[in-house]
Amino acid sequence: MLESPSTASVDPATVSTPLLPPEDSGGYAEAQRVARDVYRRVSDNISRIMKGQGPAIRKLLVALASGGHVLLDDFPGTGKTTLAKALARSIDAQFKRIQFTPDLLPSDILGVSVFSQRDQLFHFHEGPVFTNILLADEINRASPRTQSALLEAMAEAQVSVDGVQRELEDLFFVIATQNPVEFRGTYPLPEAQMDRFAMQFSLGYVHSEEEVAILSAQQKNHPLADLRATVSLAEVIAMKQGVQTIRISEELKRYVVDLVGATRTAPGVQLGGSPRASIALMKAAQALALFDGSSFVTPEQIQELAVPVIAHRLIMEPQARFSGQTARGALEGILKKTKVPA
Amino acid sequence: MSPQPFIKPPPLLLGAALVFWGWQSGFLIIGVGMGLALEGVRLVRNRWEFSNDDFQRIWTFCALVLLASLVYAFNTNDGPADFRGLFQNPSYYNQRNAGAASARTAASVIRWLPMIFFPFVAMQAYSTRDSIPLETISLILRRRWRKASESGEPRALGQDLNVSYFYFGLCLFASCIHTDDGSPFFWGLAILLGWGLWPLRSRRYGLFAWGGSMLLAIGLGYWAQLGVGRLTQYIEGFNSQLLSRLARGRFDHAQSRTEMGRIGRLKASNKILLRLNTQAGLGPPPLLREASYRTFKGITWLSEISQGAFENIPNPSDTNQTTWVLVPGKETYNSVEIACYLPGGNGLLPLPSGVGRLENLGAYLLQKNSLGSVMAQGPGLVIFEALYDPGPTLDSPPNLVDDLDFPGRERYALERAVVEMGLTDVHSPEEIRQGIAQFFASKFTYSLWQERSRRTREEETALEHFLFTSRSGHCEYFATATTLLLRRLGIPARYAVGYAVHEESGNDEYVVRSKDAHAWCLVWNQATGIWEDFDTTPGSWIDIESSRPPAYQFLADIWSRIRFEFSKVRWGQTQLRQYVIWGLIPVLAVLLYRIIFRSRARKRRGLGKAGRREDWPGLDSEFYQLEKRVGQHGVVREPGEPLSIWLSRAVSDPALAEINLPLQRVLALHYRYRFDPLGLTGSERSELRDQVRVCLARLESVNTG
Repeated sequence: MLESPSTASVDPATVSTPLLPPEDSGGYAEAQRVARDVYRRVSDNISRIMKGQGPAIRKLLVALASGGHVLLDDFPGTGKTTLAKALARSIDAQFKRIQFTPDLLPSDILGVSVFSQRDQLFHFHEGPVFTNILLADEINRASPRTQSALLEAMAEAQVSVDGVQRELEDLFFVIATQNPVEFRGTYPLPEAQMDRFAMQFSLGYVHSEEEVAILSAQQKNHPLADLRATVSLAEVIAMKQGVQTIRISEELKRYVVDLVGATRTAPGVQLGGSPRASIALMKAAQALALFDGSSFVTPEQIQELAVPVIAHRLIMEPQARFSGQTARGALEGILKKTKVPA
Repeated sequence: MSPQPFIKPPPLLLGAALVFWGWQSGFLIIGVGMGLALEGVRLVRNRWEFSNDDFQRIWTFCALVLLASLVYAFNTNDGPADFRGLFQNPSYYNQRNAGAASARTAASVIRWLPMIFFPFVAMQAYSTRDSIPLETISLILRRRWRKASESGEPRALGQDLNVSYFYFGLCLFASCIHTDDGSPFFWGLAILLGWGLWPLRSRRYGLFAWGGSMLLAIGLGYWAQLGVGRLTQYIEGFNSQLLSRLARGRFDHAQSRTEMGRIGRLKASNKILLRLNTQAGLGPPPLLREASYRTFKGITWLSEISQGAFENIPNPSDTNQTTWVLVPGKETYNSVEIACYLPGGNGLLPLPSGVGRLENLGAYLLQKNSLGSVMAQGPGLVIFEALYDPGPTLDSPPNLVDDLDFPGRERYALERAVVEMGLTDVHSPEEIRQGIAQFFASKFTYSLWQERSRRTREEETALEHFLFTSRSGHCEYFATATTLLLRRLGIPARYAVGYAVHEESGNDEYVVRSKDAHAWCLVWNQATGIWEDFDTTPGSWIDIESSRPPAYQFLADIWSRIRFEFSKVRWGQTQLRQYVIWGLIPVLAVLLYRIIFRSRARKRRGLGKAGRREDWPGLDSEFYQLEKRVGQHGVVREPGEPLSIWLSRAVSDPALAEINLPLQRVLALHYRYRFDPLGLTGSERSELRDQVRVCLARLESVNTG
C-alpha cells in the first residue's frame, strides 16, 4: 500500500504522544492528577441525577476514558437514556441522539450527499454520527444494515460515504442502549458489532430509598434540565491522555491474555474472546486504575472489569444456553479458576 | 458435510439385531433384554437432555469397559500364562499358544462388543437428540476443535452422527463369532441387512428392481460362502501339496517328474537355496536328501504314498521343544547346521543320509513318511542342526514287491544293459554295484544337452536312448537307470532326490544352489540292513554345472545373503526379536506417560512461552510470609482471589482488625513492588521488609494473646 506523508502526519498515535509530559513520574503524576480531577467532577455531576448508580457511572467513565464504546442493556425505565444524557450534559461537547427504528437507513446515521441546483454540485450533509457523544437508543430495533453503518465509525473513528473517508471528532463516544425483554421487531446485534463495544453492562433497579429520592427530585421538573456542563472537551481529552500514563506490568498483561484465552476453551462457550477483548480489558483496567488513584494497574481492576468487557463478546453453545449457562457465569468461573497474580 | 449421518434406522431393527446377536453368540436373554430396553424407548415419553460432555463421559466409560474386557478376556483365555511362556522360551510351540490365546481373546471381546457399547447407544436413544457430535467420539476431532476454538474459529457444523447404524453393524459383526454351522447366521444376516438397507434404497427404482437385486445379492452371497467353505476345506486338505508345488526349486514328496527325454539344454539357476555350517575340520555331508520314490511311471517317479501316510514325529523332550528325534536310539557324532527356507511355512527338510536327530529346529510340526521324507511346518526360515552318522536311516525296510518293480516298457533296455555289463549270471550284490558303477563311469558322460536324434526303435524310451544311443545325460538318467538296473538284478533300490553339497563359501560354510539339485539311487544293503546312497553320475557333473557362473553372480550372492539375514530376523532365528519385544516396553511406557500427562505438559509449555514464572518481578516479597501466616490463622486465599479482597476478608476477623492499617500499607507497597513496572526505591523496599516484620510480630501477639 502506498503511504502518503499526509496520512502519516495525522496518525493519532504520533499526534498525541508529544502532548504527554515526558516519562518521569513528576510529569505523569501531574497528568494523572488532572485526569482524576476531571473524572471526579463528571462523576459527581452525574451522580446528582443518577442516584445509587455509582458502579454504572464508574464503568461508563472508564469506557469514555479508555476510548471504548458502551452498550447499555437493561429493562425499560431504568435510566439508560438518562445516564447517557447526563454524561452528555456534564461535558461541554456535542451530543446527538438517534432513535433506532426498523425503517432507519444508513444515510440517516452517516449523512447523505445532496445535489445542489445552485452550484450544480453534490454537497455532503453530515449525519448525526459527526458528533462527540452519540446516543444510539434502542439500537436493536434497526435493521442489521443500519446497525452495521455504525461499525466503521465505532472501530476506526471515520466514515466512508460516496467513496470519501471523513474523519470523526477527536472525542467520539457511542452509548448504545438496548432492551433485553423484547424480541419481536428487534434485530439482535451481529457478533462483529458486539465486539466493537468495549463494554456492556446494565444499570439494574436501585434500592427503594434511592427510588424514593428519585421521585422527590422529579416532583417539580426533571433535574436533567438543571444539569450544567462541568468539564470541557479539552479536559476530557486530557483525561484520556492521563489514562495512557498508567503503567501495567508484563505479568498482568499475561493475566489479561490468560483470562481471554480461557474463554476460548471454556466448556459451553462456542466463540471466545478476541484479541480486541484483551486490548479493551487492558485499557479499561488502566482507566480504572487512574480513577482509583493508582499509577499502575493491579489485578483487582482487571477482575472488576473482566465481566463487562468480555462477557458480551462470548457466544454460548445452544446446549449450554438452554441449560441456563450464561456468558457471565462462564466468565465468573474462569475468574475463580485462573490463578491471579498476587 | 453430507446429511447422511442423520439417518435413523427403521423401528425395531436394532432390537432385532440385538436378539439375533444374543441367539448367535449365546447371550440370548441379555440380547432380548437389551433389545427390549432399546426399543422400549418408543413407549417412554420422557427424553433426557444430555450435553456433549455427558456423551463424552459415557463414551469414555464404554472405552474403559472395552479395555477392562480385553484384560478380563485375556486373563480367562490363559493369555498371561501363554505369553509368559513365550517370553521365557520363545519356541514355536509357545508362539502358537500365544497366538491362539490372542485369537480367543479377540473372539470373546468381539462377542461382547454390543454389550460394551450398549450404554452409549441407549443414551442416544433416550436423549432428546437424534445425533451426537463427532467430537465426543473422536479424540482427533476433539483436539482439532479445541485448537480451532483457541485460534478463535467457530466450530464447523454438520459433523453430527447417528450411531445407530454403526451399532447395528457392530451387532452383526459380533454375531459372526457363533458356534453353529453358519446356515442360520447367513439367513439371519441377509434378512437383517435387507431390513436395514430398505429405508436407504434408491427411490428411482421400483420395488421389484430392489427386491430382485437384493435376492441376487443374497443368492450370490450364499453361493460364495459355500464356495469359500469348500475352498477352505480344499486348502486345508491339500495345503502342503499345493504349497510345495508353488514353491519352485524344491522337491515334492509325492512325485518327481524327470526331465528325461527333453530336448535341449537344461536350465538351472544359481539361486542359493541352502546354507550349511559344518563342524570344524569335518567336511559337509556330500548329499542332502529331501525325498525318495518307489514307482517309475512314464518319466515320473512316484512315492505312491498319500498325504495321510505322514506320521507325526513326537517331541519327546519337554524342556527343549526344539529337539526332534528321527531315529530313536541312534548314536550320532557328526553334525551340520542347515539353514533352509520353508516357503509358506511348509516344506521338506534336506537331510544328510543317516540323520538321527534334529536340534534347535523351531518347527510347529514335524512329520515323516516311510520313504524317509521329513516334512516340517514352521516359520519361513528354519536353521537347525542335523546329527548324522552312517547307520540306520529313517526309511522303511524294502518292500520286495514295490522296491523290485520296474516298468515293462523298460524291460528290453534293461536286459540289453545287463547283457552288456556281463551280469547275466548270479552275482553278489557287491559285484553288481561295482559292475554298474563301472559301466556308467567308463562308457557314459555327463551332459545337460540332449541332441535331437533319430530313434533306433519304434518304441524306444528315453531311458533306452540314454543307455545305448546317446550315452550321455544328466543325473536323472543315471539315477533312474541305476535304480531300475539294480531292481532288475534283484536288489531293492529307490530313486532319491536332493542336493549335492560342494561349494564352499567361507570357513566351514557351504552354500547349495538351485543348480546343485541332484538325483541318485538308494540301494538296500542286505548284509547291514541299511539303505545306502549310490551315486553313479560321473563326478564331472559338478565341474560342468559350475563352469558357467554369470558375471553378476557375486551381486546375486550378496543379495541372497541380505535376504537370508533379514529372514533370520523376520523368522525369529536370532535373539533380536526378543530384544525388540523388551525394547518396546520402555517405548510403550513413555507413550502412556505422554498420553496421561500430556495436558499438564501442554499447560507447562503454554506458560513457558511468555517466560517462566520465576521471571516476574517482586516474587521475593516478604508479603508472602504474611499471607502464609494469616492463612494459618484460618483465612486462606483462593487461587482466583486478589490480595486486597482476601485481606479485607481477613481483617473482618476481629482479632486481625487492629492490624488492618499496617496490613493495607504493606499491601500497597507489595503491589507496587510486584505490579508497578517502576518498582520500589531502596528505602521503600526496606520499608516493606520492616513493615512485614512488624505485622508478623503483631500477628504473633494476636495469636498468643
